[in-house]
Amino acid sequence: QSAGGEAMNDNKFLNTDSSTGSAETTVKPLPFKDPNFIHSGIGGAAAGKKNRTWKNLKQILASERALPWQLNDPSYFNIDAPPSFKPAKKYSDISGLPANYTDPQSKLRFSTIEEFAYIRMLPSDVVTGYLALRKATSIVS
Amino acid sequence: QGCVDHPIVLTEAVCNPLYSRQMMSELLFECYQVPKVSYGVDSLYSFYHNRRQNWPCSGLVISSGYQCTHILPVLEGRLDAKNCKRINLGGCQAAVYLQRLLQLKYPGHFAAITLSRMEEILHEHSYIAEDYIEELQKWRSPEYYENNMHKMQLPFSNKLLGSTLTSEEKQERRQQQLRRLQELNARRREEKLQLDQERLERLLYVQELLEDGQMDQFHKALVELNMDSAEELQSYINKLSLSVEQTKQKILQAEVNIEVDVVDSKPETPDLDPLGSEQSLEDVESINEFEPLFAEEQPEVEKPVAAVQPVFNLAEYHQLFLGTERIRAPEIVFQPSLIGEDQAGIAETMQYVLERYPKEQQAILVQNVFLTGGNTMYPGLKARVQKELLEMRPFQSSFQVHLASSPVLDAWYGARDWAVEYMTREEGWITRKDYEEKGGEYLKEHCASNVYVPIRLPKQAPRTTEALAPSRGLTSSTGNPCEQA
Repeated sequence: QSAGGEAMNDNKFLNTDSSTGSAETTVKPLPFKDPNFIHSGIGGAAAGKKNRTWKNLKQILASERALPWQLNDPSYFNIDAPPSFKPAKKYSDISGLPANYTDPQSKLRFSTIEEFAYIRMLPSDVVTGYLALRKATSIVS
Repeated sequence: QGCVDHPIVLTEAVCNPLYSRQMMSELLFECYQVPKVSYGVDSLYSFYHNRRQNWPCSGLVISSGYQCTHILPVLEGRLDAKNCKRINLGGCQAAVYLQRLLQLKYPGHFAAITLSRMEEILHEHSYIAEDYIEELQKWRSPEYYENNMHKMQLPFSNKLLGSTLTSEEKQERRQQQLRRLQELNARRREEKLQLDQERLERLLYVQELLEDGQMDQFHKALVELNMDSAEELQSYINKLSLSVEQTKQKILQAEVNIEVDVVDSKPETPDLDPLGSEQSLEDVESINEFEPLFAEEQPEVEKPVAAVQPVFNLAEYHQLFLGTERIRAPEIVFQPSLIGEDQAGIAETMQYVLERYPKEQQAILVQNVFLTGGNTMYPGLKARVQKELLEMRPFQSSFQVHLASSPVLDAWYGARDWAVEYMTREEGWITRKDYEEKGGEYLKEHCASNVYVPIRLPKQAPRTTEALAPSRGLTSSTGNPCEQA
């Protein structure tokens, strides 16, 4: 590998002359990339020429968890912030003011009478939108 | 060509997964032939850039970026990784929250409320309230609202959702749909009537066979019809003639009545004839399809009622009024329960992190609280953090909060400072030789880097390349016993 790398370095000086001379071919030569490089991600468990098995974050974290960590080692999933200890303050879904009341029919929170009237006029998709924003949608519908 | 021949300084996430670092190192060393590489954490580079005379110093770095917020205690210039915490909320989530709020408030402008416009609103018109509850009380009063509400003018678009139809046109549409439905029902009933009548005739013919005394043919026909006895045949005939009568009556009724009660097509008396019951269910389903169409036109009735009147302020229709949304969107990083996140906000997490240290260290850390990152550029953030610290620190203890000199670019400046200083030195750089000996996930610690945990990852072997195989074999043979865990 190292011998190949140095050969690449020598070729660099030669190639600068030729690349300025050569016209634009159909595939533009990438100036920085080693043309012999094949990423180790290509050709994973699944067969085929074209698949590059990239892992998404969940897969990466899952395989990270399986490694032998010690108890106090910091790792990507260790440093998530803990859930809150204080009870959440309730704010109105419409205006954001502190909400003392909840509409029993739609479970939206409101703080004034006008807001209540407005809530009762809302179509159901807007209502579910507000609840989804607070992640308060009920699974049983 | 074919290589990059200068060293590279790269930022990575706090506690970057080893796999990611391995992939990155492989790309840099093998594909681009970089001589040496250094990885660091962006907020720590920013901290390094903003250092005062007494380096190395300790402090609590709070960096809030586009996707997440980190709270990193730094002791004597080195990150204390086991006590750092990350909140998965940042500028992106604030923009999405603002976008949803405005889309729900102005459903007519659903498509016009884009993420990039939200980011503009966040950058220019939002601020963080020093005391959230108090600020909200101020917004209750109408004068304050009038003075401080920001009006965003959207670009004009001809397409007004739903309000092009007046209510009369909507009535027309409904009538048309009703009529179509009626015709469909009538046609179905006629077909069913015909089928029933044919079947009835056949059954009657079989019954006649019985009466005529031709037992063999009768029994054969019974078997064909899948029935067992004459009584069954008789009961079948009775039921079928009854249903034929009913269908005839219904057709007469439908022709007489122009207005059919659409909801009233309840399933008919349960026939033994499966064809009949299917059709009645289909009626109900097709009407249910039409009903949501009616329902979603309902809420537009209120707006078009206003549109029918000639005075319609088109400019105001295209305006968004931003009141409390200006403080609500950036507030999610302090109160993630606004979005429904379980995690604690910045203030509580700061308290949690501080409490993992003995009291003297807490005092040292709190003397140098450092805010950096793009999401910290809201006006009012520094005051808010100071107020939160005042609430959580013991009575009459001191603390200091600093903001980075340019929160967005400081990470780059810090990396540049570091690179310039350490260019010729050995420490902190991962050379190509290190990469080959110790694998892709190797990290050299320096003042702005992650903490390295020496776990070897098994190297991914490509499937069909002989050229690279020997070198891979070389590196994987020096692997640890814990590799195959």
